[in-house]
Amino acid sequence: MLQYIAPATGLLFTLENILWINIGVFIGSVFAAIPGLSVILCVILFLPVTYSMTAIPGMMFLLGIYCAGGYGGSVSAILINTPGTPHAAATMLDGHPLSEQGRTKAALKIALYASTFGGIFSALMLLFLGPQVARVAAQLGTAEYFMVCVFGLTIIAGVSGKSMIKGLISACLGLLISCVGSDPMTSYDRFTFGISRLYLGLDLAVCLIGLFALVEIMSKAEKRLDRLNLDTTQIKDDGVITKEEYKRMARPVLLSSIIGVMVGIIPGTGASEASWFSYNTAKNMSKHPEEFGHGSVEGIAAAESANNAVTGATLIPLLTLGIPGDGTVAIMLSALMINGLNPGLSLFTTQGDIMYAIMLGLILVNVFMFLQGKFLTTLFAKVVSIPQEILTPIIVIFCFAGAYSVNENFFDVGVALIFAMLAWILRKLELPPVPILLGLVLGSMTETNFRRALLISNGSPKIFFSSVYCIIFLVLILLAVGAIVRGKMKERSTQKED
Amino acid sequence: MKRRILSIALLAAMCAALLAGCGQKSATWKVTCPWAPSGVAAMVSQQAATKSTSYSDTITLVAEAIKGDAATVNTWVADTKANDTELVFVGEGLLSITSILDPAKMQFGYEDFVFVENLYSSIFVLSADAKLNIGSVADLEAYVQQGTEISVAVNGATSSEAFLAAALFGSMGAGDKLKLTPYQSAAEAAQAVSRGETQFAVSHQSQILETYQQKGVTVVCAFDEGNIENGPFAGVEGVGQHGYPYFRNRCFVMARAGTDEKKVAELKELYGKILADAEVVEWLQDTMLLEVDTMSVADVEAHVENVKSIVNEYKDIVAG
Repeated sequence: MLQYIAPATGLLFTLENILWINIGVFIGSVFAAIPGLSVILCVILFLPVTYSMTAIPGMMFLLGIYCAGGYGGSVSAILINTPGTPHAAATMLDGHPLSEQGRTKAALKIALYASTFGGIFSALMLLFLGPQVARVAAQLGTAEYFMVCVFGLTIIAGVSGKSMIKGLISACLGLLISCVGSDPMTSYDRFTFGISRLYLGLDLAVCLIGLFALVEIMSKAEKRLDRLNLDTTQIKDDGVITKEEYKRMARPVLLSSIIGVMVGIIPGTGASEASWFSYNTAKNMSKHPEEFGHGSVEGIAAAESANNAVTGATLIPLLTLGIPGDGTVAIMLSALMINGLNPGLSLFTTQGDIMYAIMLGLILVNVFMFLQGKFLTTLFAKVVSIPQEILTPIIVIFCFAGAYSVNENFFDVGVALIFAMLAWILRKLELPPVPILLGLVLGSMTETNFRRALLISNGSPKIFFSSVYCIIFLVLILLAVGAIVRGKMKERSTQKED
Repeated sequence: MKRRILSIALLAAMCAALLAGCGQKSATWKVTCPWAPSGVAAMVSQQAATKSTSYSDTITLVAEAIKGDAATVNTWVADTKANDTELVFVGEGLLSITSILDPAKMQFGYEDFVFVENLYSSIFVLSADAKLNIGSVADLEAYVQQGTEISVAVNGATSSEAFLAAALFGSMGAGDKLKLTPYQSAAEAAQAVSRGETQFAVSHQSQILETYQQKGVTVVCAFDEGNIENGPFAGVEGVGQHGYPYFRNRCFVMARAGTDEKKVAELKELYGKILADAEVVEWLQDTMLLEVDTMSVADVEAHVENVKSIVNEYKDIVAG
């Protein structure tokens, strides 16, 4: 490794690379901040630009978009209670309440610091432990994936609000909706009602626009309020984070970065799962779990550090085994292959200088993301000074444009509207929307891995206890369930005492 | 004042751009790929688009990938008419598999298109868990004769890979012992066999290469007539010479039916020049492990019919 560091540094530190990193970071931040315009869409749109470049500047540009996208989604989550990207949904739970408490800049700052830490942490993991970690991750099979999903579903308890039953109903609804489309195991259609676009299933980004953005506007219109969630009079904070808050954030940030890396290296999972797992873990381990959902600095820090810690981790299986960790990274694979680089461990010896330049570049990307974020935080915070009568139509236009752009089809705009109606009805019934999102995120993965595991074992459930990793995840599930039960019992006894 | 100067400058720039465009009869053809942007077809299409300006002053190809398979092609067919400057990729998956297993998904048929060119062909390979020590068709036949269950990882439940596995093991008389395990991507399927979740996997050569180099799998045979001639899998036996059915993966570039024959011929000529480019040929062979494979309409129809006959014969094994 050491013999490649010097030539890799030489290849990386060029004006061209630094320029492309900054362009990528800026574009990624803006795209991710707009609900519906996802990071993956941004990478797809700008991928052709890289085909005329060599591998390093091309990858730096795409990594800039990818990493900044991890942070950018938090901006709209904090400012307008609508995650710019699906993986910023967990950030929204505390980011927006903190913003409503008049601490918008502080919330944005926490998101930026946590994102940068998570990003650099995973970049270092990629640099020093990439091949070793990838070999372990390659041992995780279908049964282990299923256990990871079940662990993920325990988060429902944490985001159900006051009523666990209502949270479970919402989650079941999300799981049911995730079944729409082709059956992953047989390719037969389910719940498509003969509508050809439904064969593909429902796109998460489109559902999100309806569930969180459009419903918010509908709700305000119903109440005849002239403001959305942005109250300019409340944004007077200087963005100060106290020493006490920094101390409180340290543990969840570190732990969430580790979780983010662990989730990121498992192909098929992604930043959404990582941020929810981390958020739930941070809540379970916090001395102030009651603050979660009401503007907890730990909640924001946990979710943001985790979703950015995924960025470097998803590159681990890609660069070492040629397996893309998530959809966005799969697109980056083509940028490498167009340049004649077929990722895999063998490339570390044949083109070691290029591979290490890319890995070192990821650290640089995070540094520039931090620097731009420092500037953009102020810029984004200025969004709140735009009069609501101008901002609201802009948000609606972006929502529709975002929904359309996912598949370049008006059908998705209709889906977003249907989800807005659904979310509005759920509000009337006091059913929380976040568990629906969780069901959508984890539903297909849980079902596919469960059915495939049983297919492999010829129907025997023993497969779920067949490896050390399965047992580890089982223990984690039991601990999570134990923590939920303990929390509920504590809550009841407090209520009785009161 | 500033605004006025800016407006005049913008107007001047627009006029200059318009004048620069005069005299050139350049047409931009959008090439829609209905599969993942990171997939083989999308990458090849993008590479061809990048090269198009080097070989034509009158045609510019613009590649676009909209994942959605039949749904994307349905929309494309509904939104286009003859002579529109739009092209689309269609492969045996739609024309030969979906058209038989699930025709309701397709609101189009072969007659809605006019063939322009086939860009490449890919030879699928069968890989086996390295622990099984199966390295040839003879080893495989001996293994099948043991009569044990055979599990094969494939990318998608009713994919080309699934039908190739069904055709091979079905024609060996082990169709009833075959268990196809579908994965969400070819990379996942390749990993599944290396960690022993399944005994075999069918994939493109490029998708199994890294696992093979890490000694996680052995490559048993290729789904082609003869042995693989080039690349890291050179010498791997083709199943065709042993009398087993096979087909290559091909993706045809199509224009809308009724499009002027002259335009189609120009496009075919352009693709021909791009595919003869030494850089493109080298990239396809060395990085993507594919072959340049230009075809005629008769070749395309023969390919579609060959796959259809395999699908009809083995659909009970794949789709139950």
